[in-house]
Amino acid sequence: MSAPRPQEESLVRLTVNGSERRGVAEPRLLLSDFLREELRLTGVHVGCEQGECGACTVLLDGEPIRSCLMFAVQAQGADVRTVEGIPAEDGGLDRLQRAFQEHHGLQCGFCTPGLLLTARALLAENLQPSRAEIAEHLAGNVCRCTGYTGILDAVEAVCDGSDEEGAE
Amino acid sequence: MTVSAPRYVGRRMLRVEDPGLLRGEARYVDDVDVPGALHVAFVRSPHGHARIHRIETARARESPGVHAVVTGEEIGERGRLVTTIPTRPDEVETATRTLLATDKVRHVGDPVVAVVADSRYLAEDACELVEVDWEPLRAVVDAEEALSAGAPLVDEDLGSNRFAHIEFEQGDVDAAFERAAHVFSKRFHFGRTFAAPLETRGVVARYDAGAGELCVWTSTQFPHLVRTFLAPLLELPESRVRVVAPAVGGGFGLKVQLFVEEVLVPMLALELRRPVKWIEDRHEALIASGHAKELICDLEAAVADDGTFLAFRGRYVGDSGAYQAHPWTGLIDPLCAASFLPGQYAIEAVRYEVDLAMTNKCPSSAYRGVGWTPGQAAREAMIDDIARALGRDPLELRIKNTIAEEGGPSLTGCSYDGGSYVRAQRRAAEMLGYEALRERQRGLREEGRYLGIGFSPFVEQGGWAAGVARANGFPGYAYMDSVGVTMEPDASVTVRSGFHSQGQGHETALAQVVADQLGVPVERVRVSQGDTAGSAYATGTYGSRTAVVAGGALLHATGEIREKLFAIGAHMLEASPDDLELTEGRISVRGAPGSSIDIADVAATAYMGADRPTDIEVSLTSTRSYDPPQTYSNACIAAVVEVDVETGVVDVERIVAVEDCGTILNPMIVDGQIAGAVGQGLGATLYEAVPYAADGSPLAATLREFTYPTTLEAPELEIDHIETPSPVTANGAKGMGEGGLIGAPAALVNAIADALSPFGISIDFTPLRPEAILSLLAEPRSYEAP
Repeated sequence: MSAPRPQEESLVRLTVNGSERRGVAEPRLLLSDFLREELRLTGVHVGCEQGECGACTVLLDGEPIRSCLMFAVQAQGADVRTVEGIPAEDGGLDRLQRAFQEHHGLQCGFCTPGLLLTARALLAENLQPSRAEIAEHLAGNVCRCTGYTGILDAVEAVCDGSDEEGAE
Repeated sequence: MTVSAPRYVGRRMLRVEDPGLLRGEARYVDDVDVPGALHVAFVRSPHGHARIHRIETARARESPGVHAVVTGEEIGERGRLVTTIPTRPDEVETATRTLLATDKVRHVGDPVVAVVADSRYLAEDACELVEVDWEPLRAVVDAEEALSAGAPLVDEDLGSNRFAHIEFEQGDVDAAFERAAHVFSKRFHFGRTFAAPLETRGVVARYDAGAGELCVWTSTQFPHLVRTFLAPLLELPESRVRVVAPAVGGGFGLKVQLFVEEVLVPMLALELRRPVKWIEDRHEALIASGHAKELICDLEAAVADDGTFLAFRGRYVGDSGAYQAHPWTGLIDPLCAASFLPGQYAIEAVRYEVDLAMTNKCPSSAYRGVGWTPGQAAREAMIDDIARALGRDPLELRIKNTIAEEGGPSLTGCSYDGGSYVRAQRRAAEMLGYEALRERQRGLREEGRYLGIGFSPFVEQGGWAAGVARANGFPGYAYMDSVGVTMEPDASVTVRSGFHSQGQGHETALAQVVADQLGVPVERVRVSQGDTAGSAYATGTYGSRTAVVAGGALLHATGEIREKLFAIGAHMLEASPDDLELTEGRISVRGAPGSSIDIADVAATAYMGADRPTDIEVSLTSTRSYDPPQTYSNACIAAVVEVDVETGVVDVERIVAVEDCGTILNPMIVDGQIAGAVGQGLGATLYEAVPYAADGSPLAATLREFTYPTTLEAPELEIDHIETPSPVTANGAKGMGEGGLIGAPAALVNAIADALSPFGISIDFTPLRPEAILSLLAEPRSYEAP
């Protein structure tokens, strides 16, 4: 056990939710902690720091990644999108968020930001996934509250357009 | 005085809490913005059982950014927890726990040193520099071995690992067993799992010297009880302590206890006069929060020749782990299981024995459905064994022995308030297409495919309060559960609830109740919760209680406000209150539609109207409590599985759940509770485990070994309702949050046993991971549960 050496901090510049942001990070600072602590984007939830639960998922250059498995300095110059950057439509929720509400796809809400971003990545590349494909795509995001039924229903509704047919 | 029929209760209303959660705006404890907070990390034991000879902290204290390094010796007896079941002094020991271990550690993860630094990173750096001189001791990780002679002592002060021994008998059990045509026995070892909410535990504390207030933010299900337990430990009056439960990322019973960290962090904040924060990491959550449901059940049934159940005997050995959860103790599993030994069957005699062993494992505590889950799995697995042995249909055998729909007292002291005990089973069979399914099962077997069907009918306590607590063997003190309701000058309504929500949608469901009672639009009702400074006192959210207990208290409180509205309205309309009615936001004189007044005018008059009546007290606010009598929901969960005998993989084809929880406040929320709890039942039965090596090393130190169910394991779930309102609760609700996790494991175990019945296999443990199924197939009954 050697004494810890102070680590050199560096300036990280990146685009977050469409805006240029910068912050200071020592080399070991996780991207999840950088987003939460430096940029105060607390919609990034940390559930395990082991890459297993998916709660901290953000979109990095359009791809869903676990921000707890990446150092902030590795995101230098990247384009990051968090739940705070989901563009709001009428009523302040986008179509996928509305479907989550309509189908009771969330209870405590802790896993929700990560699931929304993972699902967005699927919708961006495949507009007609089957329910099995949706389940496959979301299998890296743990939800402990819902048993997943409402989540799968919500994403499926957006994919097949049924969410826009008979909203309550 | 009349009020129009409910407009909101019973409706599928979307949740008002959702937009904030969906936009990532909700604030969980880690999101609370407390400038200047210092961070805590703990040095925890790497040994299952070890003597501490020396702790060297000098190097850690010199580490960059460190403000304090605190050992158990420095804290001494301050803040120690004393835990027992005070009404059972002859049967239950009393445990004392210091906040940090001093002489020895009892499990891997036992906290030994607290390091406070400028950041969590720096605190963890300094933890690495703490040197502890350990002397590893022999550990005990098996409950029955812990109770045997010569086992190492977990708590040396107690002189034994037997924390509790409780016996109970009602009816002539021996006579029933003597005259029985058949006696069956079953041993079932339900595996250790844990609630594993996605948000771990966390505490932030700040002492505001100017205001003379200690504020503690903690991820808890019962903020008021945290305050009541915490204040005396810190030698502060409760009035100077404020506990805030912010958004809570799942609790499921884990967060219905006072943890040592919830005492330590505020203590550090008081001493350092700086805000202090601790957020549990996942490794700590897996080894040092609270495990649950591990139970060894040895059951016997006396059965008459015609299949009538005469009597049950049960011996339950619980495993509390290294400490007793405060305040429930580890009895929350075995004692609740034993109290529900009769289940919903009409037997004439029952006897049980409960032992609670201490072992060198993470302490065990409540998890949704507590001991009812393993107790149900053991009893129902035995009943399927009986049906197979007698050549009877498992559903018909159950229905034959089920209590009458009007309910009545159970032998263990439960008062069932009526339900659909038989109808729920019939409906589940109908939804399954039971006859056709049996046909299909026969056909598939001829192809070498193994389909199985399992039933699990049950009663579920709801509205945990004095009566139900007593029926489960816990002290039946009066419970203080109140809500405050205020109609504001503009006739909007504020509800101050001490029943904190962790995803159950109270902000929506409680608003529905209030809107109906006060005749206002539901959007005008705001439910404020989780902050002891702004909420009426309540013991929190657990035990499927809020719809019943808060629901009842709200009826009383809104009733008082309504009476005042009628009195003021009568004065304004120059009518008798008896002739008034409240409909859609207006008070009017019955039969005189022209004579009416907006409720907002009434409220404004109450607060500041010159013409308000002078002969009544006009405050439109009421705080009322409710302690309901015993109430029980009932349900039947049935599962259809196919077992691949080559790989051991269980494919869950369908699950049906027929639920009768009395009056439903919001069917979407009820269905969500069922789906979530069934999902957890699936996890506990097929996937999750927190096993230990013989030396006390935890073998699930990451989520990879624990294995949560994912979207790929989500079953086809069909839900139906029968609504038999409770005749004894204030609003007819019975409470239902836990049922899915009480009932689903038994249904799955029975379905798997049914599928594998051609191989002569009966199931007597969980979890049933593929390797376990393969071992059973290779050597029936010889598999050792992890």
